[in-house]
Amino acid sequence: MPLPQTTLIVIRNNVADLAALTAVMERVGTEHGMPEKSLFQLQVALDELVSNVSKYAWPEPNAHDIEIRITARHDGVEVEIIDDGRMFDPRDAPKRDKPPPGQRPRPGGVGVQMTKQLVDRIDYARIGNRNHTTLTKLCTLGPAAFGERK
Amino acid sequence: MNKTALSMEDSRAGPACILSIGGRIDSGNAADLQDRLNKLILSGEKAILLDFKEVLYLTSAAFRVLLVATDEAERNASRIVLCGLVGQVRELFEMGGLLEAFTVHGSREDALARL
Repeated sequence: MPLPQTTLIVIRNNVADLAALTAVMERVGTEHGMPEKSLFQLQVALDELVSNVSKYAWPEPNAHDIEIRITARHDGVEVEIIDDGRMFDPRDAPKRDKPPPGQRPRPGGVGVQMTKQLVDRIDYARIGNRNHTTLTKLCTLGPAAFGERK
Repeated sequence: MNKTALSMEDSRAGPACILSIGGRIDSGNAADLQDRLNKLILSGEKAILLDFKEVLYLTSAAFRVLLVATDEAERNASRIVLCGLVGQVRELFEMGGLLEAFTVHGSREDALARL
């Protein structure tokens, strides 16, 4: 299949819709020979950010669309998440403090901290009233990938 | 194993209740794990071993549940310990800075010997 190739999926701001996104991401990764570990890590990062958008982007509980564009390239996969919720640049999320000795860490912020480590790059732009958050995972795709897929 | 579902099965080894978890833990099903752990704690279990050996995928939703449940267990004079963290699932615990937040044993046998 020629690269680059973009797949678009639109889901609602409902965590139940994440299963559909997971299935599409899995299909795209498998079709292009994405290494298993890279696909796993990108799936988790995508899950974290889209869950965050679903839960926190809108102050009221109405239904909203979240658009996700998955682009497979020869050198990796780029996933753009587009939503019209409140402005949020994950790159600016504060680093979590270490808990004081003997205390357990608080749960907040773990997802974004993990996301920063799971992908190679995070880009963000606010265009009009929409957030465009792009995750990039570098890996070899296409015919060359099938020979080295682990 | 169904990669998109969460499975939970409990069993007993002496005083310990073992909850074997499998599949996937994410924001869509983390509440089910939370409910199961709450029930075990409130039923009076004093030693709960969570075996992650069959977990294939998790997100920070799982960490939130584990942190809340571990605090709840302590308030009820109970304790939660983990085992079977391997591969990519273990790496996620490391990335989240959470390996030190829990009592983690290498295997079920190790954990039971110390409970």
